[in-house]
Amino acid sequence: MLNAQRLGLVFFPAFDWAISPTHPEREERLLYTRDQIVEEGLLDMPAIREYKPKIAKIQDIERVHVGVPDIASLITDAHLVSAGGAIAAADAVMKKEVQRAFALVRPPGHHAMRIVHGTRGFCTINMEAIMIEYLRKSYGIGKVAIVDTDVHHGDGTQDIFYHDPDTLFISFHQDGRTLYPGTGFTNEMGSPNALGTTLNIPLPPGTTDRGLHEVLDHLIMPILGDFKPDIIINSAGQDNHYSDPLANMAITAQGYARLADTLKADIAVLEGGYSIEDALPYVNVGIVLAMAGMDYSKVIEPNIADCPSQSSSVTHYIKDVIKERQDMWGRKEKLQREAIMKHGEFWQTERSIYYDDEGINEQQKERVRLCPHCSGYVIIETKARSSLHYKTAYIGMIPQKACPACLKAAYDVVHTAKKQGNYQHYMVQNKQEDRLDKL
Amino acid sequence: MFLGLDVGGTFTDGVVVADGKIVSMVKTPTTKENLLQCILTVVDKMVEDTGSKAFERIALSTTIVTNAIVEGNIDQVGLCIMSGPGMNLNDILPVAPYILSGYIDHRGREMAQPNKEEVLSACRHFSSCDVFVVSGKFAVRNPCFESAVTDWIQEQVSPMHISAGGKVSGSLNFLRRTNSAYYNGAVWRHFNAFATAVEEALKMRGIYSPVFVLKADGGTLPLSVARNYPVEAIFTGPAASTIGIMGMSGDAAVSGISLDIGGTTTDIALWQKGRPILAKEGAAVAGHVTGVQGFRLKSVGIGGDSLVFWENHVLKVGPMRHGPAMAAGGPKPTVTDAMVAAGFIDFGDRALAIKAMKQLALQGQSPEEMASQVVDKAVNGICQAIADLLDEQAAEPLYHVEEIVYETKFVLENIIGVGGGAAGLVPLVAKKLGISYTLPENGRVANAFGAAVARPTIDITLRADTAEGYYTVPELGIKNRLPRGKFSLQNTYELAEKHLAELAQKNGIFIGETQIIQSEEFNMVRGFTTVGKIMTCRLQVKPGVLQYGKEELC
Repeated sequence: MLNAQRLGLVFFPAFDWAISPTHPEREERLLYTRDQIVEEGLLDMPAIREYKPKIAKIQDIERVHVGVPDIASLITDAHLVSAGGAIAAADAVMKKEVQRAFALVRPPGHHAMRIVHGTRGFCTINMEAIMIEYLRKSYGIGKVAIVDTDVHHGDGTQDIFYHDPDTLFISFHQDGRTLYPGTGFTNEMGSPNALGTTLNIPLPPGTTDRGLHEVLDHLIMPILGDFKPDIIINSAGQDNHYSDPLANMAITAQGYARLADTLKADIAVLEGGYSIEDALPYVNVGIVLAMAGMDYSKVIEPNIADCPSQSSSVTHYIKDVIKERQDMWGRKEKLQREAIMKHGEFWQTERSIYYDDEGINEQQKERVRLCPHCSGYVIIETKARSSLHYKTAYIGMIPQKACPACLKAAYDVVHTAKKQGNYQHYMVQNKQEDRLDKL
Repeated sequence: MFLGLDVGGTFTDGVVVADGKIVSMVKTPTTKENLLQCILTVVDKMVEDTGSKAFERIALSTTIVTNAIVEGNIDQVGLCIMSGPGMNLNDILPVAPYILSGYIDHRGREMAQPNKEEVLSACRHFSSCDVFVVSGKFAVRNPCFESAVTDWIQEQVSPMHISAGGKVSGSLNFLRRTNSAYYNGAVWRHFNAFATAVEEALKMRGIYSPVFVLKADGGTLPLSVARNYPVEAIFTGPAASTIGIMGMSGDAAVSGISLDIGGTTTDIALWQKGRPILAKEGAAVAGHVTGVQGFRLKSVGIGGDSLVFWENHVLKVGPMRHGPAMAAGGPKPTVTDAMVAAGFIDFGDRALAIKAMKQLALQGQSPEEMASQVVDKAVNGICQAIADLLDEQAAEPLYHVEEIVYETKFVLENIIGVGGGAAGLVPLVAKKLGISYTLPENGRVANAFGAAVARPTIDITLRADTAEGYYTVPELGIKNRLPRGKFSLQNTYELAEKHLAELAQKNGIFIGETQIIQSEEFNMVRGFTTVGKIMTCRLQVKPGVLQYGKEELC
């Protein structure tokens, strides 16, 4: 459509949803953002069209997540609306009603992994991942690039797409040695069949607009150019802001707006950002204006004088990170061949995952078949313990483009495990037939 | 006796209402060049009809302000804004603004002070202007800067009038407030000249009734108050007929739509439980959005006099009008001609209507077939507009989980039809939609009836920020300390009631039933401690129909 509006904005502040009354994820979080957006008159701009969120279906969620014992009992209505907000943004873009879209929605989702026992890092289900699988199912989208610009490592999104060579996940974040969730290091690169399509860029505390834009211009943009995705998704966390109470970076509203302008994501989805009065109103106005192709040069925080400048050690550190990451990207085919040779038929890993919001400790064993014909089926054994529950499950996962052998093998393996009976639940997530089987 | 008058694009209607009944009805062509003329023609006929000059009230719904804006009959305005950080408004406002320092943030805190020297420069820059407008971002959260700048301008140049954004509209939306205040200032002189002319002409006739002006939200304002808020008098025609419908449908609670089918347009309004739904945003004027509140309406360019013609082998209905129907001696085929020829209504000369359809008919098509094709086209056009309005209503963004998950879908139960074209078209629209309809008696003058019986209204927005310890009421230009101790949402309502009563008294308006049109409450948490609440309440005197004998006017 020639006269399509430039930006679709799904604004859903969930004014009646909180994790708990004084939690950072509370009713008040987007109040001042709403005030600023409405006061500016942004919703009246001809370049911007506001959309109402849809309500996601359980099937949309199960295309990504396996809840133990089931996903419906672990989420609230707010999660269905937030995921539905991301889906509404995707529909607006795919139907060419708008050129790009921003789902300014809560609750957030980028810490939610494939297996869900509860809420971690304020997230229960992963809005971007649900949207991406919806895009693949409904519009046949193939290659997707996600750029996660939240200050925290998007460990949930990384987990979901770790074995998927068609999804490039790039996350820059404050170094995991200094911040939750303590992951997102450069050696996390994807399992062998998808090696290189997970790309972490840990940045030192105190990184400013200057450092961020070096990373963007010299690392992220060239890699996106190389990968040639069908669509670019931005996990648009806003907690790199200099005033954020939960992190230590020094990005401004201008820095974020210019990031949105450079990245030109097709769809952005809000993630974190907890400086609700001093950052969010300005950062969101900046991002909205930039995505709508409007002048954002006047969006400057009233207390901009509080923003620190970047130290020379940080500048040097960032230069080195960029260099190392560029090298890795250049060598990724070689690294992949080596990894496949080294691991034989299966790649496996074992880890513990902590759900900070609910005090759940999960032990996970994961095994991926390094199939030469497809990205391979996955088996996950999970055991989660909290003061209230002990839940276990044995889960098979079949990728959308699975080969017939992997499709059959996944079911066989789970059936065999069920005969042994060591777990409470047995499930197969069959993405090829878009269903979750409980055996 | 209440006298109501609606000046439309083509005709001006007047009614006199006594004890809820219409006792006199007048229709006269609108004299566009001089609206006073058709207004006085109607008033004179009513005096003659009723033999009385003692009207309790004369209420006017006019196009005076809309016409002035459309025809560019407006004054140059010295537009001074304190826009602070944010969107660049330079090319978006109706005229180039003078940008002043001074910034209030979203909490109403003073982040940067305005500068008197700059204001004096602005006065010099606008030395040819007699009217000034001052508008500041977030002035509704703290009116101090708008007041200070207004005072400085007053001191320096004493212009004829200064409009302040926060006083013209108390809602968030700097762009809309600035546009509202701009147009308010731009039409101020023109409207005041009109108001004076109306008052003098009535006085000369020995009529001393108070004059009220209708607003787009269906309320009325005393003319003396409207003189300072002329922008409120845009788009009052649809509001007049909407209130008229409310008065005519009595106790029957309408849930559905009303159709006001006039000569050139059909206005569609949505109703829930007997009340018209208000639009979420204000009206747009000459392509600029404003904060002027109105009903949720949709206009479609199909009416009784709509021209019917072929264009590239496609049958077209409206939106233009080339005079009345051929059945009534008009020059070209119209929708009314088709209605007459098809036998749906009895009007004018049927032979002429059939002649009109013959003119349109294709080879081998009978005039009756042609007529029914035209009627279908008009009915489908109206039904499409209804469907679009319902879609727009369903697509309204909602900001609470509850509202979305347990959304109550709009139920189309019945149609109320008013206006000259309603009798023929409404039954056909209702049949196509498969719902019932009513055609109130005297529905042709629902507009003037609405003006006659519309209740005087005002509204205020009170916002209390207990962490800051202040509350503001922008419409009154106040920022006051909150009383010590616990302050609840209930206290906010009570305080709003008090200030609304104050404003009502100042404006000479009787305060009857009030209504909260918007209310919010948020806990403020800093660190992990609740430090206060932000509560907002928008309260208004409920618009509607004057209860005879139960309400005083002033």
